[in-house]
Amino acid sequence: MTAIAKPKKNVHDNHNSDTQARNLISKRTNLLFNILLVVMCILVIFPLWIILISSFTSESSLSQYGYRLWPMEWSTMAYSYLFRDGSIMVTAYKNTLIATVSGTIISVITVGLYAYALSRPDFKFRKFFTFFSFFTMLFSGGTVSYYNMCRSVLGLKDTVWALFLPMAFSAYWVIIMRTFYQSNVPEAIIESARIDGAGEWRTLIQIVLPLAVPGFATVALFSAIGVWNDFRQCLLLNDSSEYYNLQYTIYQTMNNLRFLKENASRMGGVSVSNLPSETFRMAMAVVTVGPIILAYPFFQQYFVKGLTVGAVKG
Amino acid sequence: MSQTTVKKKKKSSMAGGRKRQGAYLLMVLPGVLFLLAFAYLPMPGALLGFKFYQMTVPKPGDLFQNVFLNSLVKSEWVGLSNFTYLLKDAGMLIRNTVGYNLVFMVIGVVLQVGLAVIINEMRNRKTAKVYHTIMFMPYFVSWIVVMYALYAMISATGFINATFKAGGADYIRFYSEKKYWPWIFIIAQAWKYTGQGSIIYLATLTGFDEQLYEAGAIDGASKWEQFRYITLPQLMPTIVMLQILAIGRIFNGDFDMFYSLPNGSGTLRTVTQTIDVYVYDTLKKGNLRNSFGYAGAAAFFQSIVGFVLILLTNYIVRKHQPEMALF
Repeated sequence: MTAIAKPKKNVHDNHNSDTQARNLISKRTNLLFNILLVVMCILVIFPLWIILISSFTSESSLSQYGYRLWPMEWSTMAYSYLFRDGSIMVTAYKNTLIATVSGTIISVITVGLYAYALSRPDFKFRKFFTFFSFFTMLFSGGTVSYYNMCRSVLGLKDTVWALFLPMAFSAYWVIIMRTFYQSNVPEAIIESARIDGAGEWRTLIQIVLPLAVPGFATVALFSAIGVWNDFRQCLLLNDSSEYYNLQYTIYQTMNNLRFLKENASRMGGVSVSNLPSETFRMAMAVVTVGPIILAYPFFQQYFVKGLTVGAVKG
Repeated sequence: MSQTTVKKKKKSSMAGGRKRQGAYLLMVLPGVLFLLAFAYLPMPGALLGFKFYQMTVPKPGDLFQNVFLNSLVKSEWVGLSNFTYLLKDAGMLIRNTVGYNLVFMVIGVVLQVGLAVIINEMRNRKTAKVYHTIMFMPYFVSWIVVMYALYAMISATGFINATFKAGGADYIRFYSEKKYWPWIFIIAQAWKYTGQGSIIYLATLTGFDEQLYEAGAIDGASKWEQFRYITLPQLMPTIVMLQILAIGRIFNGDFDMFYSLPNGSGTLRTVTQTIDVYVYDTLKKGNLRNSFGYAGAAAFFQSIVGFVLILLTNYIVRKHQPEMALF
């Protein structure tokens, strides 16, 4: 069928009579698309490349020639200073790691349990608890109230808890997880476990859990990325640098740097060269984003899954 | 499963009913605690917007021994006066928040649908996957790292100034010139979300019936015509529904982006401040009297308009495409 269509469809298509299993674009268009996507990919990588390369540039060359595609002079000084004892980055890394691990574990457990109950047709209060979690997606008390409640009433101000507890549970993940149970765990399996005399908890742990692993992975990864990349919670809730996470630490450093640089002339005596190292800061950005970029290709599929459910329902 | 299973199921659901409900309740309990603490507890605090907030240290015997709760209760009701205070900035804030969101939506649709279609049409499937993996990556890069990348691009010694004004003193002062910022936000959004946004379109595209395209090809439709008359009409419901859902959140900005990218530059305020940023900035003016009241009013406005918009947009979606509706 397609063989008949081919000559009409595209005169440039001469060489694909055997690959023409389906109705494909011409080779020329395909080449154009490839070029376009290579350009787009370069644009995506470019800003990150500049950060990476400048972190390996010597400070003097960076301040003399500015940010370039390729360093005038290589240096790994920035990295050797990065993880010295007592460096703010050590604290920030420690806090972020603790928060990410704890937050992810809590998310998986709480969301996994909540969504499972909601996925069970025989749960009497199913409607109520669906609405109870769903309503939080519609209405919020606003940042001001949230800020005060978390800091003063719940006592989260200046704690590591502030970096993950408020983000641990989300109605949006409950929807993803519930959809997952409903589509991946056949009702018949749960029934037969029940007939064999397994209680609700045993059914969940021994039967449902192994089947729902990809769903848990999706929630875990969303949660981990959320905590790792969090800036707002830390900005709102933590004032003491002892409890800063990575994003907030590097935000603070950058903010101070630009301010100092722009006002250097007005502050008589302070010369730009005396200011804390710019390459050092770029190295901070590299170690902040590095783990995520290295790990993400392996986890991409789970995000795609979560986002296809979530884009519509979230 | 055979019929006997069905019979047994009925029996077991009657026998273990109460115990099972107890187990389910125990399962939702942790989640309920989280929702209560971080979502429901702050809700009554929305009333801050109608109060003149004054810090009142609780005396013994007061209902709430917590300073904030006590102040919330004891502060004087002032009706809508906090809202009238906001009026002078309201135009700018709404223009920025809604305006940017609308532009992001339009540009986002074009880029995301375009990318999805191109990736879907590519003959070299494996390379197409690699492209998509790379395009998806920025979604995982925090706005703070984007702020660093931006700084490396546009600061005095940044890539743009270093490349185009090599040695010259008259560099472009991006951080103090308003005219560049709408473009910076648009580019940053496109950079971060094009790959991620295309996922839903890609998933929809792959579900289309191949026979339609074959029939189109037989009728002599070029690939462009197939896109125009087969792909696009089929994709339209998804596009429209996603935009309607986005309108429901049009008063919410990407706080991290608007707050961090300008790098604290006050001169840019009128083109970079959105409602979320305004709420935070006002909230942080601890020395200003009633800053909680004013910020609370702005936050309340945002919450309530968002609430109404989501209900409205969801109503529209449910009417036309029930499976895409939130509820």
